[in-house]
Parts: sequence; C-alpha cells; structure tokens
Amino acid sequence: MTLHIVNQSPHAGSALRDCLNAFAEGDALLLIEDGVYAAQEKAPLELPENDVFVLSADAEARGIAIAPDLTAIDDLRWVTLCVEHTPIVSWFR
Amino acid sequence: MQFTLVVYGAPHSAQGAGTALRFAKAVLASGHSIFRVFFYGDGIHNGSALATPPQDEQDLLRQWQALQQSHQLDLTVCIAAAQRRGVLSESEANRLERPAANLADGFTLAGLGQLAEATALSDRLVSFGG
Amino acid sequence: MTNSILALCRHAPYGTTFAREGLEAVLACAAMDQIPEVLFINDGVYQLLAQNPQAIAEKSLYRNLQALPMFGVERIYICQRSATERGLALSQLQLTGADVQLLEDPGSLIRRFDQVLSF
Repeated sequence: MTLHIVNQSPHAGSALRDCLNAFAEGDALLLIEDGVYAAQEKAPLELPENDVFVLSADAEARGIAIAPDLTAIDDLRWVTLCVEHTPIVSWFR
Repeated sequence: MQFTLVVYGAPHSAQGAGTALRFAKAVLASGHSIFRVFFYGDGIHNGSALATPPQDEQDLLRQWQALQQSHQLDLTVCIAAAQRRGVLSESEANRLERPAANLADGFTLAGLGQLAEATALSDRLVSFGG
Repeated sequence: MTNSILALCRHAPYGTTFAREGLEAVLACAAMDQIPEVLFINDGVYQLLAQNPQAIAEKSLYRNLQALPMFGVERIYICQRSATERGLALSQLQLTGADVQLLEDPGSLIRRFDQVLSF
C-alpha cells in the first residue's frame, strides 16, 4: 500500500487535493512541512478516515493543533511508516 | 533496509532540504542504511561549498558533510542539473573553462544514471520537494 | 529482480524545471534498462499539448517527449480527471508511437509499483 507525503498547505496549492484524488483504499497519508496546516480541525479538505499521520515537529513549529482523530508522529516513526509501505509518493507544489 | 533520498529543495530556500537531512538522520538512527542521497533540480545547491548562513541559523552543508563522514554516505549531485545552475567540481570547472569550482567536499557530481540505479536497487525511495 | 518504477509527472512545462528534468530522468532510467512507466497527472497533462516555446527561448519539451517510445518507454498514462478538469480531450494529448492510455483510477496504478519518482 502506498504512503503519500504532502508538504504543501491546502490553502496554497493543489498538492493535497491531487493526492486525495489518487488515493486508494488502505493507503496512508503523511502531512509534513506546510502540509500540516491541513491537520487542523477546521481544515478545508476532508481527510481519509484512517491512517492519516502528521509530522509533529512541523506542526509544533507552526503552532498547529492537530485534530484528535489524526496521528502525530516523530521522525523515527516516519521511517517505520516508510518500511511498512511501498511505494512512497511525494506530492509537492 | 536501504533507502534512497531524492532532494529537490534548495538549502535555506525550501524546507525540503532540511527535512531530508532530518529524515536521513532518522533512517540511520533506526539501523537502516542509505544507498544514496541524490540531489536534483534546485536541490543541487545543497552541494555548494560557498553557502555561509548566519551563525545563529542551522548549517545544512556542515551537517551533510558530518553525516557523510560518519556514515560514508553517498551524496550525489546531478551533474546536468548542477552545470545549469553553477555547481562545478574542480575538474568540471577546468573542462568547461569556468573561473572557479564550488562543489563541497563529501559530495560527488555524477549523471542521472546514478538516480536510475538507486531507484532500481534500493528498497525505498523518498523524495523531498522544493 | 529490480524495482518497477513509475514516473509521476505533475507539473506543467516551462513554469518550473520539473517537467524537463523529469523527462531527463525518465530517459536516463530507460537508457539503463530500468524502463519506467509514466503517468501524466494534474498540470502534468499540459506537457502533452503541442507547444511552440520559441517565443520564450526554450527548447520544446513536447518534441523531446516524442523520444519516450524510442527509448522503450511505451506505457504512458494520462489521468482522465486531470484532462477533463482542464478541458482537454485525449485527441489533443498524443505522442507519436506510444500507446497513451486514459486512466480513471490513478491510485490503483500507483500502488502497483515499487518506486515512484515525482516530478
């Protein structure tokens, strides 16, 4: 199953929307960098119900409160996510 | 497990360059290995020896070099992307008759075949956008 | 066994270098017998429109894309949704010598591959 990584704010461009349009059942989503702005409770796009992860360092850096149904992870857990998934697809700009 | 990282982000310009460095450290700390870090697009600027960020900001170049030394990392800068943007090794600068070379120690200039090989042979490939 | 590779081409030509450098990487993989399949998606579908970039002093990416089949890159997909959203018909998005397929479900294509290169 695919791990999708999105690094762009949902307000700045289409990367997250494009990713979600290519999302398959059982895939996982990781929000990093400006992508974490989509992890707030009042985010503009509806995220998949399961397996949505947020890089906590990036959320903390930006002062973002992560919605309770999402999973905050550190860099080491990110590596594990990569081990658990293939392929890994980055959506940027 | 062997990871390849592809870096598109220019240092001190896009966060992707710093994120890739943090991810590389986490890969190594997890007991996995790094097959290659391939710097492509604007990411080739990570291999410039001339970056001199202010002292109170992180120095990505020094950190890549330290990681390269401690883990014998393969830090490959795409030669075609680097020539376009002006990151040259000593021999390239001579060959192309340019006034200076600026490829940092620890980095290697090589062709896109290195990306093809790394994509084909490593267990995981993660891209870091610009 | 080496990995299967998908090149995910998401960016329009000329505005950034992702399209051109993506094509160069795809051709480099093919030259080393690691032949990728290619998915044009999002603004990447614009790469397949006929182009005349002389006015901005650029090489034609579209012309260079014609090299794909010659390098053995023959499995080429276009995201149907991306084309439709942009008002493009399949007849406008063709490559000589390649079997360009419209794809309704990019997610199920992507997960077939070991590695995905994003451009």
